[in-house]
Order: sequence, then C-alpha cells, then structure tokens
Amino acid sequence: MTAASAFAAALDRAQRTASPTTQLAADAAIGLDAAYATQHALLARRVARGERIAGLKLGFTSRAKAQQMGVDDVIIGTVTDAMRLENGGVFDVSTAIHPRIEPEVAYLLGDDLDDPALAASDAVGAVAGVAPALEVIDSRYRDFTFSLDDVVADNASAAAFAIGPWRSPEAVWPLDNRAVRLEIDGRLSQAGSTAAILGDPVRALDAALRLARRHGFALRAGMVLLAGAATVAVPLPARGVVTAHVAGLGEVSVRANGDGGAR
Amino acid sequence: MSGQSAPAWSGEHEVTDASGATTSTIGAPDADASWRDADERLRAAARTGVACAPVRELIGETDERAAYAVQSLGVERRLAEGRRIVGRKIGLTSPAVQAQFGVYTPDYGVLLDDMVFADREPIDLGRFLQPRAEAEVAFVLGRDLDSPTAHVADVIRATEFVLPAIEVVDSRIAGWDIRITDTIADNASSGAVVLGTTPHRLDGLDLAGVGMRLDHGGEPVSTGSGAACLGNPVIAVAWLARAVARHGRPLRAGEVILSGALGPMVAAAEGVFHARLDGLGEVRADFTTTEGAAA
Repeated sequence: MTAASAFAAALDRAQRTASPTTQLAADAAIGLDAAYATQHALLARRVARGERIAGLKLGFTSRAKAQQMGVDDVIIGTVTDAMRLENGGVFDVSTAIHPRIEPEVAYLLGDDLDDPALAASDAVGAVAGVAPALEVIDSRYRDFTFSLDDVVADNASAAAFAIGPWRSPEAVWPLDNRAVRLEIDGRLSQAGSTAAILGDPVRALDAALRLARRHGFALRAGMVLLAGAATVAVPLPARGVVTAHVAGLGEVSVRANGDGGAR
Repeated sequence: MSGQSAPAWSGEHEVTDASGATTSTIGAPDADASWRDADERLRAAARTGVACAPVRELIGETDERAAYAVQSLGVERRLAEGRRIVGRKIGLTSPAVQAQFGVYTPDYGVLLDDMVFADREPIDLGRFLQPRAEAEVAFVLGRDLDSPTAHVADVIRATEFVLPAIEVVDSRIAGWDIRITDTIADNASSGAVVLGTTPHRLDGLDLAGVGMRLDHGGEPVSTGSGAACLGNPVIAVAWLARAVARHGRPLRAGEVILSGALGPMVAAAEGVFHARLDGLGEVRADFTTTEGAAA
C-alpha cells in the first residue's frame, strides 16, 4: 500500500464513519503532489463504490477564508453526485463531523475545458450556466485544523453542495461585486460580496484550468465548478434552513436535519 | 463659551423640550473632572500625534453617558477653534464588532468640516495616528430628521441622496486598545471621510443588496454588502436620528451621515483605496506620505 492510498483509506474511513482523524502532516509537509495523489486515491475509492464525478471545487479563493484557515494558496477538489443536494434538499448533519456552510457561485461547463489547445482566456466561453450555490464543507481532521497538504488530501473538505437555478452567463455578467447574503432560518448570518472570490468569480475559471492541468483533473462538459466562497464559512446548525442569496443571480437553500432527513 | 442660542452644541447631553431648549451640564462648573481629564488626554494625543492610554481608566468601561459627555467636550472645543459640523458617523453597526465590544447598539460621532475629502483628493497619512479604512454609504439629508421616534420611512423621506464613501477611522488610544467608552469619548474613532460624487436617490434602491469591494493594489482587501450594516444602512440612520434627537442634537438638513461599515475595516496605507458599491458608483481615497514625516 502506498502512502497515498493509506492516507486515502484513513480519510475515507473518517468520512464514512463521521469521526475525525489526525492530520497527515501536522509537523512535516507530505508535499503537494503527494497530497493530490491522495485526493485522487480517495476519489477512486468513492467511484469504485458507484459514485460519479459531478465536478470540481476551488478552495481558499478569498483572503478572509485563507486567513480563517491559515493557508495561502488556491486548491482544487472533486465533488460527486452523492454530495449533491437538491435546491431546498435535506442535509443529514449526522453524516458529518463538524460541518460548515458557505455561499458560493457555481458554473456549469458547456464544453470540455481541458483541451490542451484551449487558451485560459477561452475558459469563459465554455460556461453554459451560472448559479448561486451552497457548499457544506467538513474537514475530516480533528478540530478543523490542517496544513495545506492535509486539506488537499482531504478533497478540499468537500462534503455536500446545492445549486440554485442556472442562469445564462450573458444575462448575469459581470459578477465581480454582487451582494451575497447567507441566512439561517431567515436571519442574516453573513453579508459579503462576490468580489471575495478571487477578486472576481470569473477568475475561478482560469484558476480551475491551471490547477486541473497541473494536478491531473478533467474538466468536462456537464461538470459543475464551485468557484469559491463569498463569505467565511459558518457552522451548520443541527437543524434549520440555510439560504444563500446572490444579488441579480438568485438564491438556493439547504435544510439541515439532525434526524437523518426524515421530515 | 458658545454664544447665545447655539442650541445643539452648547455642551448639553440631555434633551429637555421640543423647542430645542436644553440643559447645559458639560462645560458647567459641576462637570465631572474625570470627563475633562479624558478630553485633555485625547486632545494631547491628537495634538502630539502620540497615542494615549485608554480613557476608560478615567471614566469607566461602561458609562456611555460619561463617554458622550467627553465627546461633547472635544467637539465643543473644536467648534470654538472655528470648525463647523458637517454631519455624523455611526459606528459599531456590525454584529461581529458589537459582539467584540459587548454592546448591542451602535455608537455615533461628529463629522467636522476639516475631515471631509473628495474622490481622488490626496490625503496625508501624517494627519492620522493609526488609520484604518472602510467603505460605507453616506446619506445626505434634504430636510431635518429630528424626531426622537424617527423610523425608516422618516429616513427615506428626509434623505436627499446617498453617496459612496470611504471612512478613515482612527484612534487616539494606543494600539486601538478600546472598549465602548474609549471609542465614544474619542468621537467614535473618527478620522476623515472621502465622499464619492455620484448621487443616487433612494427611490427603488435596495441598499441591503449593494455589494461592496474595497481594493488596494488591484486586489480586494475588504468585501461585504449593505446588509452588513445592521441589516440595512437605512436602519442605522434611523437609530442615529432617534439617539441624537434624544440627546438634544437632532439631525439637520444638509448633514452628511456615514451610516456604518459594509465590510471589515483594513489598515490604511500609502496608495489608492478604491471602493466600489454595486449600483452606487465608486470612490477613491488617495493616501500619501509626506517626505520625512514618518518616525
């Protein structure tokens, strides 16, 4: 068993049992390449169980988020169909360790984006839809504490996501300064701007293309790209409705339910 | 002292009747000596450029009435020196900052004529002690907003237009080591205001839904939106109108109201801080350093 597959097995077990594991590299970095190799091994385990790759997500796209987590580089992770919630759907918090939720912008890819001939500047043309999104993140590490390598290996803390109604990009550009609200049971939790996403969420396309090429990810038509958070992530309550609203783009909600989604 | 009627700024801190007559206590012989000591400490810090120890040592950590009395002493002194009131500022409008201070209402200070700058106008950082910048919505009143029961509809009716603004906050207290009484006494940690020049009327405007980005060096250093200010900046102005009317200093036509930060404040530094308020336009604070003025 390679180090990457051993790490992946530990992270997979932590996720499936909703019990935290210790950091892989608390004192010594394992290296970004080994971290991404671990993430790929982790996703291979999920795919072997029947999950399908639904898209990619970026992490640490905002200064506030990077400061909150103590890291300083954008990272990429993978989302699967098993992580996808319907708009308004239920997230069973008992399946997570210490889930947090954050408002995002999502893209729907209309064309393959990983053609080596494609210039980064063409990435915008591959976008078929734009939507408000909510992402549930849940570090598999104890106390949500990790190094950059740790969090890359842990699939960028991906846990679940929901996407609001898709809009045509032409109808909603530019997106560089849209007011964003995160509400829990109708009460304001966080207020922000899409400017927090790399200064402009359109830059998420370039960043995803760069990271995907470098670290061996496919960016295919039909995939979703979660561009990054517009505010800090907040703890997901045991129960309640969380709504993200992006001005001019729309809203999306998730219902947290500690009873296994029975109601 | 101030002249015959000069109603709002004769140093009172309690309203008495609707005619505008007030009871002057600050500046009177029985004014609490600790207030004068606090005012003197803050004045010395502003004059020498050397930040001072917290004034809560003198007036306590929780007595907001005493803190506003100290603020009034400072404002009155500035007026006696020839300054003019151009408006007010609201502070502590973010739930996160309120929690940090352990208070659950905003506070306010006074804007004087020498604090106001225009879009792109150079601002010498040497005039501040430890400046920070934040982007806000500035309200300009077209009529008096003087009811102690003012509500959001009164604010909307009294507002002639709003402008994008950058507020420079500053503290005369060393290291920003402030509690609620320190900041109130220190004129709500006011420094300067930079006003944009694209007026918008409130008609049809959803201020809660205004996105805010403050860029420095081409990258956002603070982001937020109108909802970050008490849910909506109009709510903050309504709070201010009631508070200052009760304190005998009602808002008057023509005043500029800085309604509160739309995102986290950030340290001001040499260069241009560029605020963009989605739908309200933009404003730039151009901070400059004077040769040899450092140290």
